[in-house]
Amino acid sequence: MLEGLHYFAEGLIGFLNFKTLFNVLWATQLGIIVGMLPGLTATMGVALMTTLTFKLDASNAVLILVCMYIGAIYGGSRSAILLNIPGTPANAATAVDGHPLAKQGRAGRAIGIATTGSFIGSFIGMIMLALFTPLIGAFALKFESFEYTWLAIFGIIISGNLTAPKDPLKGWISGFLGLFVAMIGMESIHAFVRFSFGTVGLSGGVALIPAMVGAFGFAEIISVMRHPKFEVVNTKIERVIPSFRDIRVHLKTIVRSGIVGTFIGAVPGVGEDVAAWVSYDMARRSSKDGDKFGTGVVEGLIAAETGNNACVAGAMIPVLSLAIPGSAPAAVLLAAMLIHGVRPGPLIMVEFPDFVFKVVAMVLLASVAMLILGLSLVRLLVKVLLVPRTKLMPIIFTLCVVGSFAIQSRFFDIGVMVIFGVLGFYLREMEYPMAPLVLGIILGGILDQNLRRALVLSDGSILPFFTRPISAVLFLIIAFTMVSRTRWFLRLKAQASNSVRSLLGRSRR
Amino acid sequence: MKESNMTRADFVTSIILIAFGVAVLIMSLHMPTFAARGVNPYSAPGIVPGFLGALIALLGLVLFIRSVGRKGYRLGINGRTVKEFFTAQQTLRLTITIVISVLYALVLLGRVPYPIATGIYVLAFILLFEYKWKSPARSQWKTLLFAVIVAVSTAVLVTAVFQYLFLVSLPG
Repeated sequence: MLEGLHYFAEGLIGFLNFKTLFNVLWATQLGIIVGMLPGLTATMGVALMTTLTFKLDASNAVLILVCMYIGAIYGGSRSAILLNIPGTPANAATAVDGHPLAKQGRAGRAIGIATTGSFIGSFIGMIMLALFTPLIGAFALKFESFEYTWLAIFGIIISGNLTAPKDPLKGWISGFLGLFVAMIGMESIHAFVRFSFGTVGLSGGVALIPAMVGAFGFAEIISVMRHPKFEVVNTKIERVIPSFRDIRVHLKTIVRSGIVGTFIGAVPGVGEDVAAWVSYDMARRSSKDGDKFGTGVVEGLIAAETGNNACVAGAMIPVLSLAIPGSAPAAVLLAAMLIHGVRPGPLIMVEFPDFVFKVVAMVLLASVAMLILGLSLVRLLVKVLLVPRTKLMPIIFTLCVVGSFAIQSRFFDIGVMVIFGVLGFYLREMEYPMAPLVLGIILGGILDQNLRRALVLSDGSILPFFTRPISAVLFLIIAFTMVSRTRWFLRLKAQASNSVRSLLGRSRR
Repeated sequence: MKESNMTRADFVTSIILIAFGVAVLIMSLHMPTFAARGVNPYSAPGIVPGFLGALIALLGLVLFIRSVGRKGYRLGINGRTVKEFFTAQQTLRLTITIVISVLYALVLLGRVPYPIATGIYVLAFILLFEYKWKSPARSQWKTLLFAVIVAVSTAVLVTAVFQYLFLVSLPG
């Protein structure tokens, strides 16, 4: 514990020089702008920054990416409040109570609250990141091939379940397609090339960042261009800095949203949008003004923004401790860390223990920068939202192309980006979530290696997959998650709760 | 997407998924097992893709059964609906965005130097969406001017910033 504090302090002091702080400021500000602009998501922002920071050293590069990530997730609240269009999917819940507040002439107050909520959420997430990463890392050292196989499948199943709540089947299909994409190229045990159809491009496999830039960048561009123009609501922005009272009154909501948001972030592949909605929903259910939510209730706004920013730090917990991303932007962060030679995973506490706490320091710096920048230059930045998308979208696509090409200098990667863009757009139209697809691409390698290794170890028997203690637990969770969505189970649940209710009713009399 | 359109889309997609899953499974079964090298058969390259192919086909089958249950096979493709689809504003915008972006990314780049290709792309994109073909060119000089300015500055800035500031290689 004390060692962790020592590393944290060391990391933080190491970052306190002019050049690094300047990086923090511009990266966070750029992140806020990226988040603000509809058509650019946090995932895209982090992916593009990975390209830009390619030549920098690992610490600085990851710092800039973390700042971009935190800035972007917060920045989307600006357009959610002012335009009723969430800048990133994570801010959809913010718009529900944020925009009515703006229409009532209280845009400044809404922005101030959103900023403060985001900061506190980030802070809570940071503390949990520092506490849980070493714990989970230590626990994961006990994992062997059997457990990793189940973990990969579990990530897909739970991600599919939570990102497509109306239709988890589509989430699972998305996930397994992603797992398949990871199979293309040279496999790691015998160096046999799979599914290349003789082409050199496919033999190198489908790289993650071009696929993500396509699915989250190009697909978004197509989506934005498809719809007719949206109108900017011209609202006056008064005082932005929130009153202390606003914060004190909603403290319980803030803390709860922070913890819930972090926890959801830690679940693989389930990201900031789910975190925001769940926090919002929980606040609505436990508030006395619950039915007024949607008309401009401050509590709803603060729950959503605290939840989605807490999720950012939460998503980094599995990235660092298991090398499994907690959300889509975290997936890019993971890829970036691997590019820069940092090896996340259970061994990180053994090989680079100081890095984990350096990341905690990065989250702190980014959050403070977000708070300062978010509360200043508000009126100036609103002008950015007025740029017409017919001019903005081609510029973003240009960046998509550069971002896909830069890391491996392959024209094939640009093709990957284009294909995943078109595919991603149509999949999204048909309500297939993107997050499990991306998670699948990352987990595919883990599944492939570990499933085969496990089978070799058990000599073809699948018994250990169900009898080893940790494996059994993972399998039961997966089975439960899948079964809990079937109609048969839901009927059973309804019957059970009815009988419990009638039992209690009788005993009370 | 409308509910009725969704079930139809699901119907078509499920068939594609089943076909895809089965194809992957067959290709995986054809993969070598390296038995001659004395290697454990459970480490064969085809195991995991085969497993995934089978699973995708299975999930596709579930989707198929569900969409048939919701009468998704009534595709309703006739002359009228097809014409409606292709002349809708949204489809037009969609098609232009995809076609012009693909032409830039896959055809122009590599054959034309990067700054020129980028400039052409941005200019064409803005004009295709903002220029009103029915009005005379003279009344729209402002639109043209701004489009050119944005195109040129994008091409120059992106090239300069990425190539010289961030030292990243650019396509073409």
